[in-house]
This record gives sequence, C-alpha cells and structure tokens, in this order.
Amino acid sequence: MGLAAAAVAAALVTLFALLLVAILSYRDSSNTARHAQQAIASANQLEALALDLETGLRGFVITNDESSLKPWNHARKAYKPQAEQLQRLASDDPVQAQAARDVKASIDAYLTDFSVPLVNFMRRNPELARKIVQEGLGLHRLETVRSRFDQFIAGERKLADERNAKARHTARVAIVLGGVSLGLAVLLIVLLIAYLARRVARPIQLAAEAAGRLANGDLSSRVDERGVAEVGTLQRAFNSMAASLERGRRALEEQNRKLRESERVKSELVSSVSHELRTPLASILGFSDLILQRDLDPADRRRYLELVRAEADRLAALLNDLLDLQRIEQAGVQLTREEIDLSKLLEGQVVLYSAQSDRHTLELESDDGCLVVADRDRLAQVVGNLFSNAIKYSPDGGVVHIEARCADSRVRVTVRDEGMGIPVTQQRQIFTKFFRGDAGRRLGIGGTGLGLALARDIVEAHGGRIGFESLEGQGSTFWFDLPLAAAGTPRGVGLSDSRRSGGGS
Amino acid sequence: MTRPSVLVCDDEPNLRELIRVSLGSGWVVHEASDGEEALTRARSLQPDLVILDLMMPRLNGLDVLSTLKADPGLTRTRFLVVTAQPASEREAREQGADGVIVKPFAPEDLAELAGTLVTLT
Repeated sequence: MGLAAAAVAAALVTLFALLLVAILSYRDSSNTARHAQQAIASANQLEALALDLETGLRGFVITNDESSLKPWNHARKAYKPQAEQLQRLASDDPVQAQAARDVKASIDAYLTDFSVPLVNFMRRNPELARKIVQEGLGLHRLETVRSRFDQFIAGERKLADERNAKARHTARVAIVLGGVSLGLAVLLIVLLIAYLARRVARPIQLAAEAAGRLANGDLSSRVDERGVAEVGTLQRAFNSMAASLERGRRALEEQNRKLRESERVKSELVSSVSHELRTPLASILGFSDLILQRDLDPADRRRYLELVRAEADRLAALLNDLLDLQRIEQAGVQLTREEIDLSKLLEGQVVLYSAQSDRHTLELESDDGCLVVADRDRLAQVVGNLFSNAIKYSPDGGVVHIEARCADSRVRVTVRDEGMGIPVTQQRQIFTKFFRGDAGRRLGIGGTGLGLALARDIVEAHGGRIGFESLEGQGSTFWFDLPLAAAGTPRGVGLSDSRRSGGGS
Repeated sequence: MTRPSVLVCDDEPNLRELIRVSLGSGWVVHEASDGEEALTRARSLQPDLVILDLMMPRLNGLDVLSTLKADPGLTRTRFLVVTAQPASEREAREQGADGVIVKPFAPEDLAELAGTLVTLT
C-alpha cells in the first residue's frame, strides 16, 4: 500500500517537473526570439550608419560643400559604439561573434582604405575624386560591407530559428512526457483505489457482516485473519472478541445446564423423599388405627406395635440420612471414635436386615478380632446402607454374602449380592449424591440416592476406601476397607475427629 | 354367599399385611410382591378386586394397571390404586383405576372403598 502511494507521488512529482521544463523551454524560446530581434535591429542601425558614410561622402564629392559632410562625420563617430553593441549582442555564439567582427572590420576597411582617403583627396583634387566616385570604385567596397551585414543577419535568423526549434522540441517532449506521467498517475491512483477496495474496504465489509451475525447470536462467526497491517489487527481483534464471547456463552450454558440438572435432582429428591416418608407413615398410622379401633388378640396387637416401631425407626433413619447429608455438606463428617470389634458390628447388622426381607438370605463370613477405631453409629450406617442396597437391588431375592478379612494392618469388608447389577454407563455416578440408577427409579425401588454418597464420606473420614465391581444382570460387590486399630491409629476413646469430606463429585 | 377375592400387590410386606388386616375377614386375600407377580397372579386368579401400589420393583403399578385393564379375562375386576404421590391420582384414573387411595390412609377408609367397588359390580 505504501509502495503504491510512493509511486503515485513520484509520478506526480515527475509530472510537475516536466511541466516546469516545458514552461522554461517556452520562456527560453521567446527570450531567444527577442535576443535575435535586438541583434538584427542593432545590425540594421549599424548598416544605416554605414550607408550614411557612403551617402555623406557622395554628397560631399558632388557639392564640394564641407557642411554636407556632417552626416559622414556623425556616422564615422557613431559606428564604433554601435559595432561594439552588436559584438556584445552576438557574443553568445562564436560564429555570430565572428560575423559581427567581420562586419566591423569591413566598415573599418571601407573607412581607412576608401572613405577617409577620398575625403582628403577631395580637398586637394576634387576633379579626380569626383571621377573615382563616378567610376563606382566605392560601390564595390560598400558591397563587401553589405554582404557582411547580410551574412550576420542571416546567421542571426538561422540561430534564432535553430534555438526556437530546439526550445519547441523540448517543450513538445516535456508535454508528451507530462501527458504520459499524468496518465500513469491516473492509472496508479485507479490501481491504488482498486487495491484499497480489495485489501481494505472488502475485509472491513466482511468484518462488519461477521459482526452483524455475531450480534444476531451466531457466536461461531469468524473472519479471515490474513488482512494487511491494521486490517489484520482488526480481524484478529474481532476473532479474539468473538472467541471470548463464545467461551463466555458456553460457560453460561454449562452453568445453566448444571443448575437445571441440580433443580431436576432436587425435585426428584423431594418426590422420592415424599414417597419414602409416606410409606412408613402409612404403616405407622394404619397399624395404630387398627390397634386403637379393633379388638385384637394380644399376639396380633404386639406384632402390630412392633411393626409400628420398626417403621418409625425407618422414618428416623431416613430423617437422619437427610440431616447427615446437610451436616456433611456444611461441616464435614464429625466422628466420635472408639475401639470396635467389626465382626460383632457386622453380626448385629445382619440380624437387623435379615428381618427386613423374607426373600433374602444374609450370609456372614468374618475373621475374628478385626478391631478398628471408628465411630460406631457411622460405621453401622455404612454397613446398613450396603446391606439395604444389596437387598433392594436384588428384587428376585437371593443370597447376600458378607465377608470381613483382616490382613496387612487393614480390614476389608465385602458385600456381594446376586441382584440386577449396575450398568456400565451409570457406574461413574454411583457415589454422586442424589444419584439413583435408572432401574431403581423405573422399578420403583425406594431410596433417596444418599446412602452411597454418605457411606463414601464416612469411610474416607475414617482413612478408608470404598469401591465396587458390578456386571449388569449378575449382581454387585461393594467393599470398603479401614485401617486396623493395632496399626497405630490413636486408640483414645471418644476422640473427636473432624475431617472435611471431599463432597460428592 | 362366597367371599369376594382380592389381590394385594405391594413390595412392602408390612403394607400388604396392613391392607390384609384392614380389609378384615370378609375377603379372600392373595398377595403379590412385585409388578410381574401381580400380572401372573391376577390373570390366574381373576379376582374381584386388585389393590395396586404404584411404586413396585420390576414393573411399576401404572404399567400393571394398563396391561390388566386391557386383559379380556379381567373385565369384571375392579382396580384400587394405592399411591404415595397425591399428584399421580389423575394419571392412575386415566389408566383405568376405579378407585385411588393416598398413603397414609385410614384402615377403615380402605375397607369401605374396597367394599364399595366390589358391591357395585
């Protein structure tokens, strides 16, 4: 772009210079003409003086009157400065300078060799002088003078013509060159405009259109970044702005999606919690009504009271899950540690959960003396959650096999069921709070989606790990391990340990 | 006079027991503990009344309801839906429920509703 502008400037400068040359040439040509006219006028005056010499001489010879010699005397004095002037005017050309000298020399010669001697001769012998004039001896000499003048004037005219022609030629060339460079300048300006249109106006137009699309919500709108100089800067700035907008919107959309997902999860939770609360409540209210309203034999009444009690426990456990979750989310898991025989804890839970289902058999195989330092209620909660899941997700019934093995200063508890298993696609989310498998929801298996999330928080707070293996349709095996008490874990009873959980992610 | 028969479908043993006791001695009570069992037992027993919990394992109550309603062998059978979700009452009626009762319910209300449905047959 800069190159094109420089070329246009150069063409314009050339154009101006050539016009200047043309003007100067024209002025030069008129100067030459004036100079030639001056020289010719000067030559004519000198020739008139020379003629005065001849006519004055003739007059004097014919009249023999001294007074008639006045023009001759005047001319004889005046011709010298006139001849010098002519020589000055002719001095700029060697040929003309020589011609001017020849003119003066011819007049000098005429005067010394003929005119002055004849005047002197006239005063002594008028008759002879008159005879000389009549015979035309002077005319011959005058012819020489005239021819010298003719030569000078012709030379002067020729010189003027030559100079004139040269000046005109120069002017013509300058005008032609000027015309050419004017055309060139116009062409360059047209090219420059075309260049600007293509490299500047068009990219800017495209950027404006892209900005329009951007404004209409098409955030993927981009422009070609290969523009020249500032155009390229503009294009890159536009693209980076568009990219930043797009990133921002994607982040917002992602955030929005997460919010909607969390809304959906919460609304499912409310619906789920509502069902989970109503079912035990139905048993509690129903059996209480029966006890109050009907005449029952003592055995039935006792049985119904036990059912009321069991369902109330269930309600309490559900409420505890919800409260635990809230507490853990706010402050992390609070542990009250004591030394616990894990085998005994497992036995207790097996008895408890065996009573909940008549279609499932809970088998326990445990090493003796697996001592851990842990929060008894929390650990029971973890075990209970795993047992409850094993039963719930084995709708056809079957065996739930529980094992506890102590080795290498850790104890590992595994709970294996023969149930529906977990589809691979859902395995990653299984510890996510509120997450419930599709099967669970579709088949109406109760639950809050909190059990495993809570179990993980609790196990990790004890320095343990939790995990599972599962094949869809063939059951699941959940496990957790904990450090054994002997392995240097503080044995202080009632020690309070507050560790933040990692949260459910 | 023969006693009317009823099939109680609920995955919770406690609730099945509650329903059975609530209905009293005037009924021949059969039980099913999931959706698929409910389908097979209803077809073989052709009871006067089916009491269905909406949230059951394997096949949910609404699917059981619509399948049984379409069964030509069960045109005489009445359906009473038990749900923990008051919001699902409309859906249950659209699927052909003759009566809907929301958990928790009073035993006398259930017995009365069941009796009404069967007497109307």
